[in-house]
Amino acid sequence: MSTPHRDVEGLLRQLTPQVLGALVRRYGHFATAEDAVQEALVAAALRWPVDGVPEQPRGWLVTVAGRRLTDLLRSEQARREREAGVARRAPADAWLAPPADQPVTAADDSLVLLFLCCHPALSPDAQIALTLRAVGGLTTAEIARAFLVPEATMTRRISRAKQRIRASGVPFGLPPAGDRAARLGAVLHVLYLIFNEGYASTSGPHLHRSALAAEAIRLTRLLHRHLPDEGEVTGLLALMLLTDARRPARTGPAGEPVPMAEQDRSRWDAAAIREGVALVEAVLGRGPAGPYQIQAAIAALHDEAPEAETTDWPQIVALYELLLRLADNPVVRLNHAVAVAMVEGPQVGLGLLAVLATDVRVTEGHRFHAVRAHLLERAGAKAEARDAYLVAARRSTSPPHQRYLHARATRLTDPPPE
Amino acid sequence: MKYMIMLYGSQQDYDAIAGRPDGGKPPMSPEQVAAMHAHMAEIHQKLVESGELVDGQGLTAPVHARRVRLRSGTPVVTDGPYPEAEEVLAGYTIVDCASFDRATEIAAGFVDPDATGQYVDVRPIVENVDELGL
Repeated sequence: MSTPHRDVEGLLRQLTPQVLGALVRRYGHFATAEDAVQEALVAAALRWPVDGVPEQPRGWLVTVAGRRLTDLLRSEQARREREAGVARRAPADAWLAPPADQPVTAADDSLVLLFLCCHPALSPDAQIALTLRAVGGLTTAEIARAFLVPEATMTRRISRAKQRIRASGVPFGLPPAGDRAARLGAVLHVLYLIFNEGYASTSGPHLHRSALAAEAIRLTRLLHRHLPDEGEVTGLLALMLLTDARRPARTGPAGEPVPMAEQDRSRWDAAAIREGVALVEAVLGRGPAGPYQIQAAIAALHDEAPEAETTDWPQIVALYELLLRLADNPVVRLNHAVAVAMVEGPQVGLGLLAVLATDVRVTEGHRFHAVRAHLLERAGAKAEARDAYLVAARRSTSPPHQRYLHARATRLTDPPPE
Repeated sequence: MKYMIMLYGSQQDYDAIAGRPDGGKPPMSPEQVAAMHAHMAEIHQKLVESGELVDGQGLTAPVHARRVRLRSGTPVVTDGPYPEAEEVLAGYTIVDCASFDRATEIAAGFVDPDATGQYVDVRPIVENVDELGL
């Protein structure tokens, strides 16, 4: 009997966090447990395609990894004893104490692992790397490629993160009730950053990054399944689905970005939109809406409109104003100005931008100037629009965006032939 | 032994790649840009497969550069310090290969045969402090 490699790969990816979680819960020793799980995964990847997948694949992996972990701990302990020349301090039983008060399921372990990786002692970079490695089951090389850093750097980032978790002495388990909300916030932020990292990059040289967006959605789905009543978890999942639904239409054939107003909406992923909209509808009105829910509601209004002109812009303006009250930042203000311009005309939008123009956080990037250029173009101020496009292109560090902005500027220089 | 292959370009070259309408050089077409990216991707993929690639990175346009000096111990920063036509480091690829000749052979693949006068530099990387004669 043989099983296609791809099936085994998918199964292993799905089981990795459960196996790692089970091991860490029983033995502690996050870093060593991870090494042991990696070795068990290699064994499975070699044997399952030939021998067939065992009846209890998770049990098989836990057994093999557990055996390996015991070996590793023994040799580590032996080494420590040799080096320190002290008597054995911790009997093996000390690691073998699962919490007796409650049954733990495999899926709970993945969740606990997610919370552990988003530990507040870690920087967001480290949280992201560790989450992708431990919960996402990505290899260090894959993570390094996705973030365009050398593999050695990513290896160090991950091992430093593991050391910090060990040093912090945090037990394996969900954070206490008091910390739970703050920690959930960190988890959502990490998932959001992973998604953005995958989504914000366009095709071309960074094609492999789209895997990050898919991984972020998978992990958020997992979280949502366990915490169906957390509105912001639902909101984030909906936001990701509704944003990712536009992926097929947001780049042109040469990898150039296509603005939403010009996208071919028939290429949007209708199934993802249906799912996202259903999530938004289920969660809104259930309590005070958080930032992810509001952003998801905005994305839903965009996705449901048959074309840019028929978008419910007044409703989007209202939602941005709600969002501004929760999280006032220049990016939200910029989006708000765009929406206002759609309702009240480009001049009113330009007026809002003029207020923002004193904020260097926003004028340093290219987006402010790109938005301003678009509004000037709509207002008929061709020469000013052209200059603003050129300024935006200078400020952008993304070649596809630069090409897009220069193309807009060129269009204003040479009138198209009649 | 490791070698760094260095590629150069001016702000004008970057503007041409980015399709700037009023730059110092004529803008490149989307097809030309796509062909250039495909060529770079292919070279690096081959180096991954041969196990010789250590790292490869491209730098953003010179206009984004900052020059930092100390004046009476205080950092003084100049934004975009290069003239438009000055050629500066645009990207590098570090390879770990058998010989200087092999590194030179790899480097030749980075030079555009259609761009008259274009060049890249290859320099061996110091492996340890002893080689500096310290």
